[in-house]
Amino acid sequence: MITKRLAAIAALATLAPLTLAACGGSTSGSAGGSSSATVDSLKVLDYYTDEPGKTQIGDMLTACGTSIGVPKIDREVVPGPTLIQKVLQQASSKSLPDVLMLDNPDIQQIADTGALAPLGDYGITADGYAPGPVAAATSGGKLYGLQPGANTIAIFYRKDVLAKAGVKPPTTWAELRTDAKKLTVGKQYGFAFNATADYEGAWQFLPPMWSNGGDETDLKSPQVAGALQLWKDLVDDGSASKSVVNWKQSDVNDQFIAGNAAMMLNGPWQEPALDKANVDYGVVPFPVDQAGQTSVAPLGGEAWTVPMTGDQARMSKAAELVRCMNSDANQLLRAKQGGLVPTKLALASQFKQEVPAMAGFTDAVAGARARTGKLGATWPDTAKIIYTGVQLVLTGQAAPADAMAKAGA
Amino acid sequence: MSAVTSKKHARGPVRTAIAIVLLAVLLFPVYWMVNISLQPSGNALSGTFFPTHPSLAGYASAIHDQGHNLVTSLLIAAGTVVLTLVVAAPCAYALAQFRFRWISWALLVILISQMIPGIVIANALYTAYERLGLLDSIPGLIIANSANAIPFGILIMRSFMLGVPPSIVEAARVDGAGLLRAFLSIVVPISRNSMITVGLFAFLFAWSDFIFALTLTTKGQVVPVTLGIYQYLGAHIANWSAVMATAVLASIPAIILLVVAQRYIAAGATGGAVK
Amino acid sequence: MSDTKTLTSATPRTTPAPAPVRSRRSGSRRLEELTKVLFVVPAALAIVALFGYPVVKNVVMGFQDYGLKTFFTGQAPFVGLSNYLAVVSDDVFSKAVVNTALFTLGSIVGQFVIGMLLALFFHRSFPLNGVLRALFLLPWLLPLIVGSAAWRAILEQDSGILNVTLENLGVISTPVPWLTSPQVALVAIILVNVWLGIPFNLTLLYSGLQDIPDELYEAGALDGATGWKAFWSITWPNLRAVVSVVLMLGVIYTLKVLDIILGLTQGGPANATQTIALQSYQRSFVEFKFGQGAALSNILIVISLVFAVIYLRANRRQVDE
Repeated sequence: MITKRLAAIAALATLAPLTLAACGGSTSGSAGGSSSATVDSLKVLDYYTDEPGKTQIGDMLTACGTSIGVPKIDREVVPGPTLIQKVLQQASSKSLPDVLMLDNPDIQQIADTGALAPLGDYGITADGYAPGPVAAATSGGKLYGLQPGANTIAIFYRKDVLAKAGVKPPTTWAELRTDAKKLTVGKQYGFAFNATADYEGAWQFLPPMWSNGGDETDLKSPQVAGALQLWKDLVDDGSASKSVVNWKQSDVNDQFIAGNAAMMLNGPWQEPALDKANVDYGVVPFPVDQAGQTSVAPLGGEAWTVPMTGDQARMSKAAELVRCMNSDANQLLRAKQGGLVPTKLALASQFKQEVPAMAGFTDAVAGARARTGKLGATWPDTAKIIYTGVQLVLTGQAAPADAMAKAGA
Repeated sequence: MSAVTSKKHARGPVRTAIAIVLLAVLLFPVYWMVNISLQPSGNALSGTFFPTHPSLAGYASAIHDQGHNLVTSLLIAAGTVVLTLVVAAPCAYALAQFRFRWISWALLVILISQMIPGIVIANALYTAYERLGLLDSIPGLIIANSANAIPFGILIMRSFMLGVPPSIVEAARVDGAGLLRAFLSIVVPISRNSMITVGLFAFLFAWSDFIFALTLTTKGQVVPVTLGIYQYLGAHIANWSAVMATAVLASIPAIILLVVAQRYIAAGATGGAVK
Repeated sequence: MSDTKTLTSATPRTTPAPAPVRSRRSGSRRLEELTKVLFVVPAALAIVALFGYPVVKNVVMGFQDYGLKTFFTGQAPFVGLSNYLAVVSDDVFSKAVVNTALFTLGSIVGQFVIGMLLALFFHRSFPLNGVLRALFLLPWLLPLIVGSAAWRAILEQDSGILNVTLENLGVISTPVPWLTSPQVALVAIILVNVWLGIPFNLTLLYSGLQDIPDELYEAGALDGATGWKAFWSITWPNLRAVVSVVLMLGVIYTLKVLDIILGLTQGGPANATQTIALQSYQRSFVEFKFGQGAALSNILIVISLVFAVIYLRANRRQVDE
């Protein structure tokens, strides 16, 4: 009897969380459509967890806030791989931030759900920006994010090692192969890159794929097979370690610093570590296979977006914050702090003057290509096929000609 | 006579030596962690076998940044242990000794709760916590971690309590003790081994939890150590020596607690009671 | 009636106390029933409140087209069994099933056997027993990201310490491609998972061993049961309850293992270390196809349920003994 009564209470307890979840409306955040007169604070979500970036971005956000009349910035910082999860949790509990930082390939996917406000509504345009960042942040003809800084990947080489071996940095694929082979001595591999089973592996495959004329919309083409062949040749020659299927870009950098690789494919964010370890390095763009081809590298970097929170006053202040984070001064500052390149083409020459070491990257960014430029929200599925195909080739389970087909293309 | 005793005396230290060797082999990754924490440039993959140029930079960062996080982790873990034992022990005893008709069903429900991926639970809790205002709170994380540990605790303690002879409890009841008092004064001392063991694991679950710490905090004020190390792990760069140094420092208070707790898992706890 | 008689015969001094007996029969009987249920109520509330909603939601999600959009619009159209069909007909699924089976079997056997041997080893007293046993729990104190980074360094093909040691000892002539070969990678992650599981098995089995009264061993020794005979006739039967719960939980937890595989191989190379749990995670949180991810985790729960039912059947027999 008493047992039954208590069982009933237990059953009610099950309903409690269900009803809590089912009930719409939340206590925090914004109610739909309201408009608060003055905005004293803005909520920001980003993934710059590590120092010094975390403090630098924080300071820039606060400074921008002050300049637009918002005294307080409530900032939430989460580890990179968990950002989207956080965004989804906040979306379902209707507690999205006012300003959201997104990695550029994620923008179109999120925008397609209707969660982001078109920046054009607030008078923001991307005129004068490099084409890559604009393509990444545009969906259905509307601009959803503004990216202040960009980076990409290129070939780093150890000047002393190459000089000693009498080898010049490669400009063609044939040269890359022979150079790498020549430089593979003892514990040192000629070349190191990343081919892991995640988006990083796909990202690193884009320079050879795109530079060879391959396209993400047609992975079974011979140009893509050619790029796979290059990766395969480098590993089969012994010039690149078989462990590339397990090395992240940070591991590749570690190998380069430790002297286990004479050349590597990596990005400018590694430069602070390289400088700290006193590595004498040079940078060249990724080589092309045949004359007449252009070296194309993928676009990296994050953009600031304005989620649809329903509070018009906050949203327009958020847009102002986004515009401020993209001001000329802030673009230059962020670029110098974070090893990025300003995305406004007009700033390129000034930037090259002030930071000559980044001259090569500045040119590369101007021509960098957005991963989501053609595929939009369906890019992640293609990325999965790409990295699976690369791994099938590198583990000898498929030939370059049919690897992508085997991977699901 | 003396030969036998001297053999017995020799066996002890030999076992200790063997145990140390086994420990060394099994804990080699832990050694590697300490090794990396002392390396200057933070390479996790290509560090040398022995830190030839030891650098305390990692420890300096760790001590400077993570002290507060360590206290947070300790509070959450301690709270989890208490809450888990208080809730799970009576239930475990009930499911072991009381003759309910629905025990198998209860066990099934408990087992099912252990089959759910942690991330699914964390996502569901986020919504509830957001409404209840439990985000960014130590009690909130204690509750979440206890939720994880309570079913486990029930299952483990129950399997131990199955061996508690009902006659001892009956003897106490005959002497006039209520059920609760009999439980507290007879069953709990007898179940010391399993309770300490469950307490240990509750502590470890909470100490090494990452998913609840990540999901259920938003403002960066309540940061357990597992979340704090991300200060050194950016989207592209990793300062492994600081990460490892933090892990080493975080292990020390936990190890001390574990050593102390293990002392109390004594032999034959039920032995004398039957007589 | 009979109660009064027993009381008086056993303790003649308490004859002038019939009142407690009367109240015990009516009021306190109910009180006792209530107390018994109260033992269980806090735990029941906790479990139902915290696990009820996720379970229900997961089951429902398996039948829905739940994508990124759903988080923002709240719409998740019902699609019947198409999520299940989609995940089962995927090329990777059969590989994931085989890998899950091998991974679970290898891990459980490895963890249990080694844990048991170590528990028996520590069952004698010797100097530093307690400290050393506590140190065996160190793997559980490390955040998983630290553990997997350490293991990746150790298993590194070219310069990792494991290959270097094996080569120096003359056991192998060429480096073993631990994490880079599709054939060996699964073995590597089983190895790491066994390492992770040993503390769990060791601690629980040791506690179980300590709970067996010494008198049983002494009595058995008198009958001539020592060494392995003592193990089979005294230790094993008394340890059965603990062993079955350790194995049961071991299987359930191993089926769920995710972080260590993500950290070491991300499911590669070329899907060689894909498991159902990893597939479920990737479908949901990397590809944002939450309906398919839920379908996969539901499949996993059903598999776990089979083991759970086996355990409960065996347990029932135990309790009745």
